[in-house]
Amino acid sequence: MTTSQATRPDVVVARGSRARRGHLGVVLPTLVLPALVLVVWQLASWVFAPREWILPSPALIARTAWDDRARLWYHAEWTLLVTVLGLGLAIAVGCLLAFLIARSRLANLALYPWVVATQTIPLVALAPLFVLWMPAFAAMVSLAALISIFPVIVAGVDGLRAGDPDLVRAVRALGADPGWVWWHVRIPAALPRLFTGIRMAAVFAVTGAVVGELVASDRGLGALTRLSAGQFETAVTFAGVACLAIIGLTLFATVALAEHLALPYLRRPTRPSSARNS
Amino acid sequence: MRRGRNDGTLPSAPAGASSINLCDVHLALGDDPPAPVLGGVDLLAPAGEVTAIVGPSGCGKSTLLDVIAGLREPDHGQVLVGGHHADRIGRVALMPQRDALMPWRTLLANVEAGARLAGDAPDVARARARVALQQAGLAGFEHHYPHALSGGMRQRGALARTLLSGRGTWLLDEPFGALDALTRSEMHGVLKETCARHRPTVLLVTHDIAEAVLLAETVLVAGPSPMRIVDVIDTHAEGDAGGRERALESLRAAGVAA
Repeated sequence: MTTSQATRPDVVVARGSRARRGHLGVVLPTLVLPALVLVVWQLASWVFAPREWILPSPALIARTAWDDRARLWYHAEWTLLVTVLGLGLAIAVGCLLAFLIARSRLANLALYPWVVATQTIPLVALAPLFVLWMPAFAAMVSLAALISIFPVIVAGVDGLRAGDPDLVRAVRALGADPGWVWWHVRIPAALPRLFTGIRMAAVFAVTGAVVGELVASDRGLGALTRLSAGQFETAVTFAGVACLAIIGLTLFATVALAEHLALPYLRRPTRPSSARNS
Repeated sequence: MRRGRNDGTLPSAPAGASSINLCDVHLALGDDPPAPVLGGVDLLAPAGEVTAIVGPSGCGKSTLLDVIAGLREPDHGQVLVGGHHADRIGRVALMPQRDALMPWRTLLANVEAGARLAGDAPDVARARARVALQQAGLAGFEHHYPHALSGGMRQRGALARTLLSGRGTWLLDEPFGALDALTRSEMHGVLKETCARHRPTVLLVTHDIAEAVLLAETVLVAGPSPMRIVDVIDTHAEGDAGGRERALESLRAAGVAA
């Protein structure tokens, strides 16, 4: 059957040029902007020589980060754990709530408006209360989870409602029971949107953890930035912020990787005719 | 080209090609106030034949198919598939306009689902799906996802799934409406060949008069909402051109600007 070749020349072309570009072609453009910022920053530090506690140079920050690595790791480890646990909790509870809301009219009316309402409360303001109610670690995890659960629920509900009605009709007529339709049609159909929500949640979880630590903790990168800035250890503050960025990016990338593995059908199509021609 | 051990795993004639018989079927949808969609539909689709329904868009054709498939119950009137009123679900296969393949499943897994839902064991379902894809001219594409295939190939896959569902009664809801003209005429050939080989009962809904006359032994003309059958055309008696002419006249007489 030659129609597939004739109708999809775009795919063949795209694949060829991608292979030629390789990994460097993806990595290099991404690094241009941060490299530029660092170079300008370093040059400005030499030219204007601001006081170190106001604006340390990138070189000084890097040196300080290396010298203080044990202290950085002590705090980063805590934040990483809080973020991962908070995100995990948000995904588990968020998916469950999204399922209930999408499945039941009653749950939709009883829960969904209040899920939205919680997001209008500045959750940061609750951080001191959380610390009163439970151990600091549990309080931070709860805050991270509360802030990151919102995109999971919204994306999950939208995704579960987006199932193709024609597809549902077809499989129901073939004899699929409601359980089959949920498991094999609605939930798989919801996954692309759900993953978008989880990617956002991964970033929100870092924010939630740091805000909690800023306000009410002695450990974690949020606490480190607060304490170091208070003692004019500005280079340490910057090193802490850099660690946060790395944690956020790593989480985001991890979710994106999970998405790539879980949804193989959304990857770029390969040539549909290759198997036929061989 | 078919391997010996697979011989006989595909039914050559689907069991239970049933006639479809509707008598004065009424259905209103929505509330406050309910709008009548089906206004007393009478129709007969004889077993093993292709019957087409032509009518204007929005005249309730898809709702009618839902009722026949057992996805909805009529307010009033009788729906018989092979003589049964209840338990219509599982007796007929429904193929919607867009191919309705699951995009997250490979072509093979999609076709397999038809056999699995019909009650086949996993390995049997897989073997039958392979044979069905081969017969549909899709060998070599088993592990492609639907979006990597052309519209015509996807529809042939959907047809293979319908075939494997083991049902001898097929409801096709504008199955070729989303295809380009060339692919559509290719699919007309595929459907004719499939019907000649397996002799299923087919009820084909379309808004394309030429398509209806070309494919069906009998063409039923549906009036605008609420839907009723206003004319029954025997395409063998009328001939292609005569059938098209008469369908057009009936639609005009029913108040459809065709």
